[in-house]
Amino acid sequence: MNDVDIESTYTALAECIGRVGEAKTALLLATLALDLLNQQPDADRALAHILQAERLANT
Amino acid sequence: MLIAGGGPVGLSLAALLGCQGVPCLVLEADASWCEGSRAICLSRRSQEILGWVGADGPLTAKGLSWVGGRSYFRGAEVLHFQMPTEPAERFAPMINIQQYYVEQFAHAAAVRSGAADIRWSARVRGVAQQSDGVLVDVATGDGRSHRVRADWLVACDGGRSTVREQLGLQLEGTQYEGRYVIVDIEQDTRRAVERLAWFDPPSNPGSTILMHRQPDNIWRIDYQISDREDPGEAVKPENVLPRVQAHLAMIGETAPWRPLWISIYNAKCLTLPTYRSGRVLFAGDAAHLVPIFGVRGLNSGLDDAGNLAWKLALVHKGHAADTLLDSYSCERVPAARENIAFGAKSTEFMAPPHRGFALMREAALRLALVEPGVRSLINPRQTTPVEYLNSPLNVPDLAGRFGAGARPGLPAPEASLRTSQGLQHLTALFGGRFTALYFSNRAHGPEYLQSAAAGPRSGAAAPHLIRIAGQGAAATGAVTDELGQAWRRYDAAEATLYLIRPDGYVMARWREADSSPAEIDRALDRALKDSPT
Repeated sequence: MNDVDIESTYTALAECIGRVGEAKTALLLATLALDLLNQQPDADRALAHILQAERLANT
Repeated sequence: MLIAGGGPVGLSLAALLGCQGVPCLVLEADASWCEGSRAICLSRRSQEILGWVGADGPLTAKGLSWVGGRSYFRGAEVLHFQMPTEPAERFAPMINIQQYYVEQFAHAAAVRSGAADIRWSARVRGVAQQSDGVLVDVATGDGRSHRVRADWLVACDGGRSTVREQLGLQLEGTQYEGRYVIVDIEQDTRRAVERLAWFDPPSNPGSTILMHRQPDNIWRIDYQISDREDPGEAVKPENVLPRVQAHLAMIGETAPWRPLWISIYNAKCLTLPTYRSGRVLFAGDAAHLVPIFGVRGLNSGLDDAGNLAWKLALVHKGHAADTLLDSYSCERVPAARENIAFGAKSTEFMAPPHRGFALMREAALRLALVEPGVRSLINPRQTTPVEYLNSPLNVPDLAGRFGAGARPGLPAPEASLRTSQGLQHLTALFGGRFTALYFSNRAHGPEYLQSAAAGPRSGAAAPHLIRIAGQGAAATGAVTDELGQAWRRYDAAEATLYLIRPDGYVMARWREADSSPAEIDRALDRALKDSPT
């Protein structure tokens, strides 16, 4: 993705989170994450993303 | 010509009109230049515009130039950005300078022109449109009232424009809730001149802090306050100074300091739907309010002045129909909307308007630590020159005649050229008249071009002809493209002709001008007489 693509994607997700509301945000993001992880070529790479996200979330 | 408001836009417009020999009167409610540093970042384009009135010398001598910046999340650097820049260019992409200096230098240029009369402590009270002019009631500092009649009134009287209110016109758009406190302090420093941003810094957890150096050892510090804080309380020194001290200590700026100016700000995305109302035109904050992030406020106001001045001058001198002024609005309203769109994007990051944006920012800042691909999200999207691709003044290109490069409606590219006075920047030749750039290695250009430059038009309406000879070609009566920049950037061949507007925008271009002698006249007629809208 180029800079313009990542920016419009960022905005779209921010607005989506705003629309579903706080109670459903975690479910929204988990669904999205599982969908994207399913597009990874293998489980090792999917797991690497999961562990990176965990580490960054604890930053 | 009457200008309401002697801020940076009004004074610059007065200087631009004055340099074109147009008499103008500026009425400013305040007694002098502004207090507090206010707008501090001047873009390359703004420096060019002020260069047209000879104010670029003092501006660049006083200002601090910079080319990039850094953003930090907590303690870690997550973005280092650079604005486009090249060696030996005319102006830095940005300089930092207090607004009162810009006003001072524009004022001096206006006075130097001999055609501008600037009155301080003169407040516009009433505005009445007539079919052929405007009646303006003015209250002066000595308690007296005056009535002034002008052919044209330009409202440069700021965000709370009296002229706008008098005409019953409304700004349209949105405002953001997130508030930033703006503080100027005086402190010795040796730090490099860069735009600095901290997200959630240890000195002020949860806040966002911006810092810019200014001349005279002054720091601009902006920080976001939480939605729960009362704006009135937030600007009290007892609440401001500890936060500033904590941050200075964190970044290792330990010299003694004192506060100079404290203000508060929230982002606004507002514009009038049109900048012409009969005999009244609007420029700067009177016409539009854009978020500070990306520094589009004063810079877009100066762009307004640069766009309007030559059109007003041509109308005033009878060289153009007044419909030319409609093109000012046609060009600058979309420019404001573009500035607002970029400013809104920056604001969504700098002052997230709701939980969705706040959460995404938290994610982007963390991911930026490890993933370079998302760092552009943190970029402040600094102002760049606006394109007038849909301007009614543009003469559309014939299909396939040019490759990439300077289409009508784009700012004319810069180039370094060898002249009788040494190396000169091409953009330094713009600002007053139309310019015909004729690319040719032959010593004698076509006769019609010489005569187009000599008349039947006169003064500002006649194009100034410049022949640009290629590398190594005969340069008698020409400037030489020693570095090959001009021919390349303009995608030129033998006998290529560009018509550049007085404000440095490409208006029309022809691949082989020799074969179409009347077209430059037609393009000028179209702009000046027919004034398409």
